[in-house]
Amino acid sequence: MPDERREEGKRKPVVVLTMGMAGSGKTTFVQRCIAHLHQKANGMKEEDVCLPYVINLDPAVTHVPYEANIDIRDTVHYKELMQEYGLGPNGGLLTAVNLFATKFDQVVELCERRAAQESGLERTADEDGEDEDERGEAINYIIGDTPGQIEVFTWSASGQIFAESFASQFPTCIAFVVDTPKCTEPRTFMSNMLQACSVLYKYKLPMILVYNKCDISRHEFAIEWMKDFENYQQAISTDTSYAASLSRSLSLVLEDFYGNMPSVGVSSVTGSGMDEFFNLVDASVEEYNENYKKTLESNKSAEKVGELLGDMKVSGQGAKPPQPHHL
Amino acid sequence: MGRYAQLVLGPAGSGKSTYCSQVGEHCTSVKRRVHFVNLDPAAESFEYPVSLDIRDLISVEDVQEELKLGPNGALVYAMEYFEEHLEDWFAQVFEESYGDDDYLVFDCPGQIELYSHVPAFKRFVQYLRDRGWSVCAVYLLDAQFVTDTTKFISGCMTCLSAMVQLELPHTNVLTKLDMVENKEEVENFLDVDARSLASQLNARMGPKYLRLNDAIASLIDEYSMVSFFPLDYTKEDSLQDLMAYIDNSIQYGEDEEIREQLADLEDGGG
Repeated sequence: MPDERREEGKRKPVVVLTMGMAGSGKTTFVQRCIAHLHQKANGMKEEDVCLPYVINLDPAVTHVPYEANIDIRDTVHYKELMQEYGLGPNGGLLTAVNLFATKFDQVVELCERRAAQESGLERTADEDGEDEDERGEAINYIIGDTPGQIEVFTWSASGQIFAESFASQFPTCIAFVVDTPKCTEPRTFMSNMLQACSVLYKYKLPMILVYNKCDISRHEFAIEWMKDFENYQQAISTDTSYAASLSRSLSLVLEDFYGNMPSVGVSSVTGSGMDEFFNLVDASVEEYNENYKKTLESNKSAEKVGELLGDMKVSGQGAKPPQPHHL
Repeated sequence: MGRYAQLVLGPAGSGKSTYCSQVGEHCTSVKRRVHFVNLDPAAESFEYPVSLDIRDLISVEDVQEELKLGPNGALVYAMEYFEEHLEDWFAQVFEESYGDDDYLVFDCPGQIELYSHVPAFKRFVQYLRDRGWSVCAVYLLDAQFVTDTTKFISGCMTCLSAMVQLELPHTNVLTKLDMVENKEEVENFLDVDARSLASQLNARMGPKYLRLNDAIASLIDEYSMVSFFPLDYTKEDSLQDLMAYIDNSIQYGEDEEIREQLADLEDGGG
């Protein structure tokens, strides 16, 4: 793999956005990803070393077990925000994420600058020479840890801004983290899958289902359920409620969902399944290039035409492009 | 004998509180009695009169401060605490104040995890139903995020995932329709057929998802499992229609007539 990367010269790092319901173990999963990539980098030659770039997007997290390169908490202070504006926990969370979204262009810019660096080379000094203390390794993955409440990300404008700004610059994929032990309950499983489906249609980005906590309970049962809806229907046959029959009808859709969805069982504790996960991430780049990028480019060209037309009309008094402030 | 309740659900910022206050105003104007119960331990302030508040028992802010939990952990803790005290706190206060012929509106927290991963809510709903309440879930979604077909599907899936968990008559509502610029486009989604839905999806998603698109489109169309009710507060009839729709689903008012008949029969017999 590293050879391929070097041949391509500047292989763009892949953005992995972790999403999932609260308590599914997103943060520990991110921690494990980082540990895994660092471990891999250990045995490499210095010029091949590639490390992940980590971004924490959860303003309310109290403790992050990894070292984040960019942390939303350095920019917005969730508790202070709540006090200053008299917001509740929910309002505070949304506001914090929204505020950060207004500066997100700078985050992407930082990532881009970082991605342009190559391993083992003397870094060209930045004009302001600010980040001299940064390590000089190239980055292979950008890992984003999203807020614990899935709604904050999926049903707000800011989540869209985060995902789309990344996706416009880098190959991006979503790792949907599922709490495997909790999913042994057929209805919770269905709820999770529907959320995943919802995220898929919202962002249109390649998605990988990550069955987390595999050390507690294996994920094979879930795969069995997805592969063959009869298995799922059997599992739910003891449940005669109205919601169960709804789940049964939904399992027909689920079968098609699985056919398209790469999934992997991992354990953030033991680290099993991580190699497979990163293989899937690398494979998702192709899907990104084929689908998302194409749509993006056609949209861009359409926009350009629109812009040109717009410029002709305003002639001279066009709005100034927004000047990014420093973080 | 009727006991009626609405559970108002939806993601943060979907307009639950506004909905409640509008329902309050509407009911005052048509001289209908309705009570509001707050079940969101993270709620801030209300624009409507709250007669029972979960925060009298526990509030997320207190939990966060005392147990040093993050907002999520605190919310889950609060709901579990609520479940623990369902019998000894809630039941007491609740049964003292409400009973037959009451119409309640529950303002619930929005996080889906509370319904799927924590049993507290299921038990609460069970509690209500055991005591003869007919309950309807009203799931609110912000229409501003439902601007194209894929996002509409995304919304449908979110609603479905709540429906699977709550075994209740379910009404999905698109709020803030007055904020949407292109209303016609949104209204198109409310009445779609499978084929046009699938073809729109196919145009927007990668070729890999063709079969999934078909399956979802037919699911939505054939089973008509997810339908949305557009809600626009600037239109007078909008809320009234929605209330009538919900009333219908929980059979509000139907008992009334039967009781009158029963009373007549009893009068005749006696």
